Formats: sequence, C-alpha cells, structure tokens
Amino acid sequence: MRVLLVEDDLDMAESLKASLAADSHEVDHAGDGELGESMALNGAYDVIVLDRMLPKKQGVSIVRDLRGKGVSTPVLILSALHDEDHRIEGLNAGANDYLGKPFSTRELLARVRSLWHGRDLGPATRLQVGDLEMDLLARTVKRDGKKLDLQPREFRLLEYLMRHAGQTVTRKMLLENVWDYHFDPQTNVIDVHISRLRSKIDRDFAQTLLHTVRGSGYRLEG
Amino acid sequence: MRPRLDALLRTTTFRLALVQAGVVLAFVVAMLVYVYFATVGQLIRDSNVLADQEYATLERAYAEGGMRRLNQEVVERAARQGPFLYVLAESNGVVVTGDFQQLPAAPRETPERVDFSFERVDENGEPVRGRASGRVGRLINGPILLVARDLGDSAIIAGRITQVLWTVAIVGLIVSIVSGLLAATQAARRAEALSNTAREVMAGDMTRRAPVRGVGDEFDELAEAMNAMLDRLERLMNTTRTAGDAIAHDLRSPLTRFKQKIENALDAPPDTDADREALRKAVDEADRLLNMFSAVLKLARVETASNWRLQRVDASEILRELAEFYEPAAEEQGLTLRAQVQDGLVVRGEHGLFTQAVSNLIENALKYTPSGGNVEVRALRRPDGRIEIDVLDDGPGVPPAERDRVLERFVRLETARSTPGVGLGLSLVAAVARLHQGGLHLRDGLSNGDKTGLGAALVLPAAA
Repeated sequence: MRVLLVEDDLDMAESLKASLAADSHEVDHAGDGELGESMALNGAYDVIVLDRMLPKKQGVSIVRDLRGKGVSTPVLILSALHDEDHRIEGLNAGANDYLGKPFSTRELLARVRSLWHGRDLGPATRLQVGDLEMDLLARTVKRDGKKLDLQPREFRLLEYLMRHAGQTVTRKMLLENVWDYHFDPQTNVIDVHISRLRSKIDRDFAQTLLHTVRGSGYRLEG
Repeated sequence: MRPRLDALLRTTTFRLALVQAGVVLAFVVAMLVYVYFATVGQLIRDSNVLADQEYATLERAYAEGGMRRLNQEVVERAARQGPFLYVLAESNGVVVTGDFQQLPAAPRETPERVDFSFERVDENGEPVRGRASGRVGRLINGPILLVARDLGDSAIIAGRITQVLWTVAIVGLIVSIVSGLLAATQAARRAEALSNTAREVMAGDMTRRAPVRGVGDEFDELAEAMNAMLDRLERLMNTTRTAGDAIAHDLRSPLTRFKQKIENALDAPPDTDADREALRKAVDEADRLLNMFSAVLKLARVETASNWRLQRVDASEILRELAEFYEPAAEEQGLTLRAQVQDGLVVRGEHGLFTQAVSNLIENALKYTPSGGNVEVRALRRPDGRIEIDVLDDGPGVPPAERDRVLERFVRLETARSTPGVGLGLSLVAAVARLHQGGLHLRDGLSNGDKTGLGAALVLPAAA
C-alpha cells in the first residue's frame, strides 16, 4: 500500500522509510508540515504517518484541515507528546491512531497495517476467522459450531484480534484498545490474558488460530 | 539612614499611618466645631435672647416716657452692675449715658446684632477685658440704644474648652503619626527580613528560611508559605541533582550489556540464528533503556508540570478493573489477588496517572511476593473524608527504617536487585500522590507467619 510519511527528523525518516519499504509498502516522504499536507491532498495514499511536531505546520492542524477538506485517509500520529490530553486532541482532530515516541518499528508497522485493514470493516455484526465465529449482537462465540464461554473482557480481546485477523497485534495495541491503559506493565500480564483466551479457543481443536509473533505480539489467523 | 527613611516613607504601612492621622485630625476638627457651637455658640444665643428682651423693655420705656424715661432707665440699670451693658447715644452718635463712652458699632435704621470685645474698669479700679454680644438700634426720632450681655465667665469656659480640644487634637495627631511610624518600621523590618531571605537564597544558599515569629500574623503566614515554597524548591533541586547522578549510574549497566551483546555478535563467526538472538537481546536492552528514560521523563513531568487537568475519577471502577486485569497474572504466579473496594469512591485526579499509580503498586506487590502469597487491594472512604487505597502483600516487606528511602528515585534495596525494574515505580506513585495533594505511606502489610509484608497506602482527597 502507499504510505505518506511526514517526519522532519531525517535519520528517523530514513529508517522508517526502509522499514515500511521492507514491509512491502510504497513510501513517499515529506520533511515539513506544509509539504506533507499538500502531498496528502494531491496523492492517493492508503495511510498517512504524521509526526506531531513539524516545521511550518503542526501535525494536529494538518489532520484537522485534511478532515475538513474531506480527506478520509487513515492517519497515524507519531509524537513524543502522548499524555491523555495530547492523544485526545490528536484523535479529536481526526487521527485514527496515536503512537507515542519512543516506539518500536514493529509496533508502527503493526499499526499501519491495522489502520489500512480495519478501515473498511464497518459496523459488522458477525466476525469470522477460520471456523471461529463471533456474533456481536448475541455476544456469542462459536468454534466449529461449538459454543465457547468467554468472560466479557476476553470477548473484547478476541473481538479486537478478530477485527485485525491476519495482522500482528502488539501488546501495546491490546493494552490501549482493549483496556484503554496507556502505561507499560512491567509484568507479563497481557501474555497471561492471551494464554487464557488461547486455552479457550484453541485447546480442544487441532488447528491453532492464535499465534505468538516472537518479539512483537500476537496474530489471529484462520 | 536616609535611604531607609525614604524606603519607609514609600511603604504602604506608612501611607496607611498617614491616612489614619488624617482621619484622626478630621475627626478632632469636626468635634471641635461641634463642641464650640454646642457651648460657646449656645451661650451667645442665650445672651442674645436675653439682650433682645432687655432691648424690647427699654424700647417700650422710650415709647411710654420718651427720652427722659429711657435715660433714667439706662442709668439705673447700668448702675446695677448686672450682666448687661448699656449705651444710650444721641442720633449723631454722641454717648449720653451707659457703660462705655463710645459705641462699638455705628447702627443702621433697623436694630442689628453686635458682638464685640470691650475693656472697662471694675469696682476695684482694675481694667477688665471682656466680650459681649447684644443688639444695637436707632429708636424713633433718632437716639441710639445698645444693650449687650457680658459673656464673662462663659467666654472663659468656652475658651478653655477650645484650648483643651486643640491640645487633644495636636496630641492625638502626634500619637497617631508616631504609632503609625512605629508600625510602619516594624512592618518594614519584617518585610525586609523576607526579602533578605529571598536574596540569600538567590545568592545560592538554598537552606536559608524566612524567620517565623509564631504570632500567626500575615507576615508569619507569608514567611511560612515562602518557607514551604523553598522546601519544595530545595527538594526538587536535590532530586534533580541526585537523579542526574543516579541516571548516569544506572544507565551504565544496561548500556554495557547492550555494547557487549553487539560486540560478541560481531566477534563471533557469522551464525544467523545466534546473531539474530544477540540482536534481539540488544533490542531488549535498548527497550529497557527507553523505558527507563520514559519513566524518568514521566516522573519529571508529574513533579514539575502544573498543567495536569484534575477531574472526577471513579476510583472504585478503576480499582476493580485493575484487580480484574492483574488477577490472571497473579494466579499464574501462584498468588491470590483480592479486591475489597467500597462503592462510589470518587477522587479528584488525572485518570491516566491515577490508573498508573495504582497499577505500579499492584505490580510491585505481585513482583515481590513469593508464590503462595496474598495481595489485597482495599479502598475505603476514611472518617476524614479522604480516600485511602491500600495495596497489601505478605511478601518480604520493607524494614521500617528503609521505607522513606525506597520512595526516592532509583533507590532499590539490595534484596530487589535481582528483579527487573529501575526503581522509579514507587517514586512515580509518590509524585502522583503529591500532585493530587495526597500522600503515599508505606507500612506493615499482611502478616505471614512471623513476618509482615508491605502495605502501601495511597491517600487522596475525595472529589467535591
């Protein structure tokens, strides 16, 4: 997919470009806010990755203006400012995701893919990955026709994984999107939640759906 | 001396003293005027009424018996040496008879009020000065009649009263100026002590504090506020200083490991799997470094930034969610995590910081409690209205003497060296507590045989 990267730090831009390219994205780069905005308006991009603090025009104003002009391309804001207020400001301006610096490249790649993938899902009422089915209205989960008994939080965790099936989902993405926690637990608490979920959805079945991606996170794949 | 006097004259207190003196002066003048009219004025009015009656009587005598009768009456009355003074004169002003040889005022056609000083000789031949008030007028066919009343003693009394009032006014004015000046000097001296302290602190002596007299006046309040500010500044400066050293010290080991891992990978013969593993470990070390920096920055922001927006935060809900979040991890470690949380506990705080502070306490308890142990999260509204959140464990605990120290940044007890972490978790909780005008207190936790675990109590003000 085509990614527009707006980042004024050239070293960081180079390394991000290389990583995105290695993940088979086509990357254009803008070094300041004004150029970034005009490229976003004129080019057909699938995802925009935008630094928050930019020369000439700030990331948040760019998103606001793009949304005002009807550009709905998913935007991921990167910023060293990532307190609740900053994230809310960025998301309210129209950004789809917000990633604080420092971040790992794997995290960024996972989020870029998830933005692109997640954008056309719409308000589905049923999700399906392999023989795993989730009915969002009845709030039931079945695998191979057999009903699985999930706790409400496990249900939300699985829903998030199913909505991002086929992609690597990082621990941080799970923390932010399933629990709305914006700190790094020093313990392996997310792994424990995942392993409990895994025991419910995979234990009695021959095929494993929930995979651990070493060093990155998890992937649900049918 | 001169500059100090100038400075004193410029002070607010001195100006207030002047205003006070002005008010005293105005009051005394008003009182003088009132007393004068109430005493002297009344005496003169009374004299005039009597003089008018006497004048009317003589006017009647003239109407009845003409000049001869009037002359006789005047002579008789003047001879009685009463309080009245009389003068009868021809129409041309030449005195016919009476107490004086001269008229004090030339009369017009209509009778009018006169008020004059006079001098005459009494029975003993002594000259007597006096003041008199009365009426003078021209009668029909021209003779002039003056009837006045000697104000005599009453004038003396009125004079004395006036004199006393003036004395009081002057003394009062002096006393109010002097007392104002004394107060101004006193206040200026105390203000000077405060500014001296500020100057000494600016010159680099952070240990200086403003003197507090203990009388509880506004200067004491100001000095106490200033001292509290200086305490905080000193603490911040100290933590900045020690944090710098601690960061440099604590960064050394992960950076060395980081370097070693990369060097080892470079030195060894190429081996894809081993290189990959070495790089992965290097990345883990880099993550640890980044985490440490994030923690340091976050702590600095909590301690120094003032732009956090505190609002109503539902502590009960957050605590229950956190307990639910950590419960599986606790179980995995062979621990029991229980929550006893009262309903409706609402604190005034910042949602994210509050959540992180409590999660730090829970993680701390989970980290140091050995398998088979218990961790409890309790939350209640205290009788003083504040909200207390306790995270208790029955792990090894912290000796009472060390409890204050572990709240400082980068302090890790020797027993904790083997566990991961950078020693900022509790410092952050303590900083968050301070930001919320609350506190973090470490004490005994759950008992475990003959040992006692650690209890961390986060006490925060409830939302209004």
